[in-house]
Amino acid sequence: MSIKKDQIVVIVAALLFCSAIYTVFVYAPTERVMGPIQKIFYFHLSSALVAFLSFFTAFVSGVLFLIRKDLKWDVVGVASVEIGLVFTTLVLITGVLWGRPVWNTWWTWDPRLTTSLILWFIYASYFILRSSVERQDKRAVFCAVLAIVGFVDVPIVFLSARLWRTIHPVVIRAGSIDMAPAMITTLLVSLGTFTLLWALLLYHRTRTLTMAGRVKNLEKRLDGGIL
Amino acid sequence: MSGFWLILQKDLHAEFRKPESVISMVFFGFLLLVILNLAIPLGSEISSETGAGILWVAITFSSILGLNRTMSQEKENRCMDGLLLSPVSIEEFFAAKMVVNVVLMLLAECSIVPLFFILYGDSFFQSLPMLVLVVLLANIGFAAIGTLFSAITAGTSRNEALLPLLFYPLVIPLISITVKVTSMIFQGAVIKDYSSWLYVMLAYGCIFTGLGFLLLGHVVRE
Amino acid sequence: MSCFLTVKNLFKEYEGCRALRGVNFGLEKGDFLSLFGPNGAGKSTLLGIVSTLVSPSSGQIEIKGFDLTEEPEQFKKQLGVISHNSLLYDHMTALENLIFYASLYKVKAPENRAVELLRVVELYPRRHSRVGQFSRGMRQRLSVARALVNDPALLLLDEPYSGLDQYAAAILTEQLAELKSKERTVIMVTHNLDHGLNSATKVGILSAGCLVFMEERDSVDPALFEVEYLRHVQGAVRA
Repeated sequence: MSIKKDQIVVIVAALLFCSAIYTVFVYAPTERVMGPIQKIFYFHLSSALVAFLSFFTAFVSGVLFLIRKDLKWDVVGVASVEIGLVFTTLVLITGVLWGRPVWNTWWTWDPRLTTSLILWFIYASYFILRSSVERQDKRAVFCAVLAIVGFVDVPIVFLSARLWRTIHPVVIRAGSIDMAPAMITTLLVSLGTFTLLWALLLYHRTRTLTMAGRVKNLEKRLDGGIL
Repeated sequence: MSGFWLILQKDLHAEFRKPESVISMVFFGFLLLVILNLAIPLGSEISSETGAGILWVAITFSSILGLNRTMSQEKENRCMDGLLLSPVSIEEFFAAKMVVNVVLMLLAECSIVPLFFILYGDSFFQSLPMLVLVVLLANIGFAAIGTLFSAITAGTSRNEALLPLLFYPLVIPLISITVKVTSMIFQGAVIKDYSSWLYVMLAYGCIFTGLGFLLLGHVVRE
Repeated sequence: MSCFLTVKNLFKEYEGCRALRGVNFGLEKGDFLSLFGPNGAGKSTLLGIVSTLVSPSSGQIEIKGFDLTEEPEQFKKQLGVISHNSLLYDHMTALENLIFYASLYKVKAPENRAVELLRVVELYPRRHSRVGQFSRGMRQRLSVARALVNDPALLLLDEPYSGLDQYAAAILTEQLAELKSKERTVIMVTHNLDHGLNSATKVGILSAGCLVFMEERDSVDPALFEVEYLRHVQGAVRA
């Protein structure tokens, strides 16, 4: 992609984000029982989607790395775990903010929140692991393995989190959605916006990390005098 | 004799000659049972949930000592290279190490569980037969993830301190299921009530044993 | 071309650097290759790849027609390796270590093989001592025995003489001579020109990931070879 095209995409994403904020705050009706705090839900769910997409990408690039042994996939893996971790943090923060007025408690051991929290731990440990391995190829293998095992763990984490009693509202059940049509539109807009944002972040972060890696290798070769 | 038996025999033989791992595991487990007692109000009967939680915190935290050691043994003098040079397959190596870990955990549990009954009341004692099954199922899951990740941390610069940071987040679901099932057993629930969770534990063990077989080769080879 | 050992187009890239850039050579049964080269030329990488511990980025290796990637088990059975590390378990006795490794290679009667080798490296009286109590020299002798446990068709040595005491060095030289008489193939990486030239039937120089020199030992004049070798070492220092 050329720089110009990059800029256009960024501008489109920014505009889309503004419109998402507009739909959330102006277009979407205020929920009757919960009041304006319900509006946090749109970005809460979108963040969760982005986090999931990221961890899935990390899983896939982990598998691809182990098969191809191409460091390119390691870079994609790190970029996605970074993004995933940021958005999991957002899920947790928005969840907590919403829970305080609605459930009258900051934290509750609800399966979805608990799952997010455990995922946060798993993928945070990814970076601890990363920082404790010097060699590039080893580090890439270890991180790929963690990304794969972590992702396989997700459904089990969710299943086991049901052991904590839930008060999380089930908004989307199979076959029916308990929301006003305007709210659904708003939700779709913010989901779309966040997905675009995710793709953009992943693209740029991957590119930055690739370049950083190249600079590091060049520095090493300069130091070693092998250029 | 296959490589699996040879490695298993070597490790268990070393442990029987000088039971460093089991002794440190039991000691630490016992210590945790005592320390966790601080969380209980004085003179009150503990609930089955609390009891199950205490038992499993003691077991899982002490198991990390054994998990670390089985792999770090192969690190001294780079014995791992010696195994990789030999015609033994990685799968046999993983299986052997995992069984060693299961055995070490079982040996430690043979002391930790009775100590738990002594310290926290023998009213839980009638639940022993089912508890054995739960312990076995839980051990498989812990050993599978523990073996894979101790191989990873053995290859890093700060091996022993790193394992718990990677290990516990991944086994939280297994711990929570195990605690839940154990507390139901302590309450005297019928097996029908929690049998589905036993299947989940079994599935967990199978999934991560399979992943370990698939992934360990990538981890230990250069 | 059906050599005993064939190395074809071996490349290894490592953190953006090329450790090996297309190494080709073949060895016949009974060949003893001494490989020289400046530090960082890729000698250890080459040895690591042939010993199956390091995977190549591309290229092919065969021993007796067994391909490294296709038949790793058959390939590994042919190998013996002596490296800087002893690969011995400190908590086990000398005898136990050798029996363990002999059994891993499915050697028939591993106990007998272990005892035989302990006699060869003159550690038989100490067979029931734990390796942790051994001196450096004794460990090295034992690690020579360990490498020979499967009577390898190809022996790989990485700087075997560095840090050896004279006694251990003599035993190693003796063993290498015997392997030669048994038509075993040896690759030895070393900095020491005397050791390297004495026992070799072929000599090679690896420089910056390429095999720049490869001749029969007999056709090489030691003095001229030294000049050639130093030229590459200095070249590497200057670069």
